[in-house]
Amino acid sequence: MIITRAPLRISFVGGGTDIKEFYSRYPGRVLSTSIDKFVYIVSHSGYSDSFILKYSQTEVVENVQDISHDRFKAGLVSHGIEKGIELASFSDLSSGTGLGSSSSFTVALVKSLHALKGKKINKETAARESCELEIDTLGHPIGKQDQYASAYGGLNVITFNTDNTVTVDPVHLDYKLRASFENHMMLFFTGITRSANTVLDDQKTKIDDNFETYKKMSDSVILFKEKLLAADFKGLADMLHEGWVMKKTLAKNITNSNMDVLYEAAIVSGAWGGKLLGAGGGGCLLFMAPLEKQNDIQISLEQKAKELSLGGFKRVKFGMTSSGVDILFNTSNTL
Amino acid sequence: MEKYIDDFADAVITQMKTLPKDEIAKAISIIESVYERDGRIYVFGNGGSMAMATHWVSDFNKTVFSHNLDSKIKRFQAIRLPSTESEITAWANDVGFDMIFAGPLQNYIQEADCLIAISSSGNSPNIIKAVELAKSHHVPVIGISGFSGGKLNELADAKIVVKTEPGAYTVVESVHNAILHLLTSYFQDYFDYIVEKKKND
Repeated sequence: MIITRAPLRISFVGGGTDIKEFYSRYPGRVLSTSIDKFVYIVSHSGYSDSFILKYSQTEVVENVQDISHDRFKAGLVSHGIEKGIELASFSDLSSGTGLGSSSSFTVALVKSLHALKGKKINKETAARESCELEIDTLGHPIGKQDQYASAYGGLNVITFNTDNTVTVDPVHLDYKLRASFENHMMLFFTGITRSANTVLDDQKTKIDDNFETYKKMSDSVILFKEKLLAADFKGLADMLHEGWVMKKTLAKNITNSNMDVLYEAAIVSGAWGGKLLGAGGGGCLLFMAPLEKQNDIQISLEQKAKELSLGGFKRVKFGMTSSGVDILFNTSNTL
Repeated sequence: MEKYIDDFADAVITQMKTLPKDEIAKAISIIESVYERDGRIYVFGNGGSMAMATHWVSDFNKTVFSHNLDSKIKRFQAIRLPSTESEITAWANDVGFDMIFAGPLQNYIQEADCLIAISSSGNSPNIIKAVELAKSHHVPVIGISGFSGGKLNELADAKIVVKTEPGAYTVVESVHNAILHLLTSYFQDYFDYIVEKKKND
């Protein structure tokens, strides 16, 4: 039995510039951190003659082509894994939260499938193969930031170079600055889950129209890093807000009235600024706020969520982490 | 005599003022990620570097938590390689001196772990063997070297090199000890903070 895990991520600035239609013309950049919420993949071989897959549903099938979970299927096919395998996924948060969990799943799966064959892969390979699986094999209209953020872990500037390579530069904060940064952030799950793909499809077709906006988003990563190292949290919040305003112009459906109502309520209650996490349409809201306002903000948002009948709305406490995809447990006897 | 003392102090101070801060930050980040995933830290070196490795292990397995010995917070698992003197002679006598670190390391190594290799020249064959073993497992390596860094500095993920003329062992090892204590000091403060935060939660 093998257990792997890969972290979810919070992306601060530059999201969207990781799409090939953009970074093939100008380097894309994202600043993001992994957090202490994970997707786990457990793989077990030997006792059954079928493919057994356990996630929000359970599949027991004889033929790999009959698997309906697209990433499980693509992973098993590309690794040529025969019947007699049981795979299960567990997640600390539901999918569709805008925290990159779909790609965390793929990264943990890729790591696991290699380990099943006795092979250890590095972070770059885990990230690259996850991108290949999701973007090239499955044709999802997504970028590459989530796979790299999850495989590498930590707080990083991730650069998507025009030659298709990716550079991951860690941003080192001492524990005091990191703790202070964490304490000024508030993360809320809106209760609305969505697939990134519809929003991103629309966004991709409009790269030409919005090229200058994308450039600004990519360049803003450098200033964000400077402000972070200078502990200018108010300045960071302003940048998140600007990024969010810019992003809303890129495609329809990035925001909706519920998101806007919640966002406004947080600002009125004293948040400095924030953004929606993920491609848009639902997911999580991230705010930066002074410590003394956080209680008011939380009460106000919970009230608004009730009025909007958002049953799943809740605050998500999190910590920033340094580790990426890992094998936690492996019973194979090889050294 | 005073001049001799001043000259040595100056040589050390010059190095201390030009520490590779970014690489030390990388090392701290590697140790943090090992702690997060419950991995172990293997530390080793030859001669004086082995003495420093032993000292560092006692710091990381106790001093780091010395203000919080009663707290139930997860602790570090630092291991000096090899962990017994018998293993050194067993591997040296039976297999070869170049296997005294890699041999025992092979028994323990898991992907969640990391290495701290200390070598002034950065070229000791027994150090490089262990580092290569770690690299083949994709286990991150913190290389603490001197002179021009040698092969250790090429292979390491965190490349902490104290750049001096070849053979300046006393200066290099003095600075190595300070860097190792910097790591101890950082994590002692870090755990004081974590324990305090848990109390307030």
